[in-house]
Amino acid sequence: MRKIFPAEELARDPRFIRQTNEQRLGDPRGARVAGGNSGDRLAKLTPELANGPDRARALMHGIFTGEIQALEGAGRTCWDFEVGEDVPLELKLDMARQCWDEARHCEISVALAEHMGTELGEFAENGLLYEAACNPDPVLRLTGVNRALEGLAIDVFNTMKEFGNLAGDPVLEFCEDWMLADEVTHVKMGSDWLRQLTANDKERLDKALEFQKVVDRLFSFNGFRGEDDDSPIQLTRRFRELAGFSDDEIDEIADMSREARVEAAG
Amino acid sequence: MTQVSVTPESFDMVFYDAAVIGEVVAEVAERLGLEETINLEIDEGSPLGRSKIISYDPIELWVDGGALENTKRPRQFGTGRARDTLGRLLLRILDRRSGRFDETPADDDLDLMQFVAWDVHCVGRLNRLGIGGQRQRRLYQFRNRHGFTDVADAAFEQLWDSSELSWTEIERISEACRAS
Amino acid sequence: MTETKRPREPFAPWDRRALPGLFDVEETAKRVGHYKWVELKLFEALGGWVATVPELDIKMRLGTHCYHHAWHAELFDKRLPELREMKTDRLTVPPNDHMVAFIDAMTEPEGPTLTIEKLVGVYRVLIPHKIAAYTYHRNATSEITDMPTVRILDFILQDEFNDWREGEMLIQSMIESEEEIDRAMVHQTRLEKLMLAAGGIAGPGSIGDPYVDLPEEN
Repeated sequence: MRKIFPAEELARDPRFIRQTNEQRLGDPRGARVAGGNSGDRLAKLTPELANGPDRARALMHGIFTGEIQALEGAGRTCWDFEVGEDVPLELKLDMARQCWDEARHCEISVALAEHMGTELGEFAENGLLYEAACNPDPVLRLTGVNRALEGLAIDVFNTMKEFGNLAGDPVLEFCEDWMLADEVTHVKMGSDWLRQLTANDKERLDKALEFQKVVDRLFSFNGFRGEDDDSPIQLTRRFRELAGFSDDEIDEIADMSREARVEAAG
Repeated sequence: MTQVSVTPESFDMVFYDAAVIGEVVAEVAERLGLEETINLEIDEGSPLGRSKIISYDPIELWVDGGALENTKRPRQFGTGRARDTLGRLLLRILDRRSGRFDETPADDDLDLMQFVAWDVHCVGRLNRLGIGGQRQRRLYQFRNRHGFTDVADAAFEQLWDSSELSWTEIERISEACRAS
Repeated sequence: MTETKRPREPFAPWDRRALPGLFDVEETAKRVGHYKWVELKLFEALGGWVATVPELDIKMRLGTHCYHHAWHAELFDKRLPELREMKTDRLTVPPNDHMVAFIDAMTEPEGPTLTIEKLVGVYRVLIPHKIAAYTYHRNATSEITDMPTVRILDFILQDEFNDWREGEMLIQSMIESEEEIDRAMVHQTRLEKLMLAAGGIAGPGSIGDPYVDLPEEN
């Protein structure tokens, strides 16, 4: 088995159809976000929206395929790097733990898809998350995945948890609450390893934080995740703080989203 | 014979074919027993899934391009999705013409509970005709509007399984959930 | 003197644990190092394979089992300093080159159509050999002096049995034709031969030696 497994070869059964980045970016109607699209039709995802339940359903499917890729990414980190030469054993143990967590998240997502009336593979999958997990530098990989993407997962799960709460859906709220707890742990893992592995290497730290910003920007989709009232996905300060983000870092993500919205509107 | 006119006649942002769409509209209409001219306007620039009836007589329908899209393959036409979207609209037209829906508020005045309850009754009937389905998806939408309760689930069953409810009956079933 | 009932034996009548064991500290550390190396290689492979397997249920099981074996590696890693090996990496090694060849062959399949081979290597060859070696160690070591290792092995064996059963069921559910039986058997045979050459996961003597040396006839 090779080291560094390419995103385009991720193994799926025939139910799943992958949308390439070229296809996604080439869609003149704008990026699809949370079951809607970005741009002028942004609205906070709540059950009050006429298409709220369908958007939640589509978002849940996006979470599901994201969980599969997160599982694959954590698994590859177990395989791609050598203990001692590249990473400490403890980092790999954390990644193996994350594999188990992501596998459970896949199971939860399958159950939630059934609950919400979604067929597996009903929506196109894009491989962006796994692509961030292909970085050959383990520090950059962990920063991109565990801090940027799992950080986004914190915001998404909290939004979905609130959706479940507002809709009176006890199943959705219960599941999202548990997944949210795991994601905070994963982000904290990323924060801890970033600090530890770059303790004496300022250059590597800067590179890793820059990579995190690139990933954050890639997933900002015209600023759909932010602190504005109509942001479909709400930035979650409290849980991000628990996961090791500083106030400055959270402010920066909020600013980035705002800038992306202005850019998209202009 | 059903005549269908699709606007626009050609598409730039999605890979749709107006002739194919026209055939699907005609097929669904004929299966529902509608034999008249249908005008369908598509906003190809919108990937959302909204749809509405602009005019009941003559029949004029409007949909987001996303309402006819194959969700597995963005920008590609989805026959199943289109049948479901158009079947629901056409069945609502038939309902309003039946005399059983004379007291129904105008479409824009329906609240989300009323709209979803009627929709469930439409999709249940379409499902038995082999058009559309996704029963669990409809149940989830219904629960979001009527509560995640046994009462709501029983109401859903009634709406889904009944063959020809009147507006008064649909409203009564929906209202019973609100009261619970 | 405290007023008590009659004196009791230090070991209750049902406690038949015996003091002597087959392994001294050094031998135990050596074996534990080999076990850790095998667990490490196994969890790395399971993690790596997740992305290569199209079957959704198997993908999720591999992710789950990946952690089980990582946890075993961690338990062995923590045991090593208690066995006077402070530089745990020194003993985290394969027992011999044959074992390296076995792991190389086991982790070789990558393509999405090779799920049967991936599962056979782990669940029909490696894990049964691990169960054998761990059971031997658990039963042969002193249950008093080496109880920490016994306790670790008990936890690990529980995982191994569960994972072996799940893996075997996955294999049985994947095999739907005679050709697939042949594929499974060919791969198993190839790996068993490599394992035979290695002498088991801890090298020769992994599960002891049950044969008797016959005295020369007069």
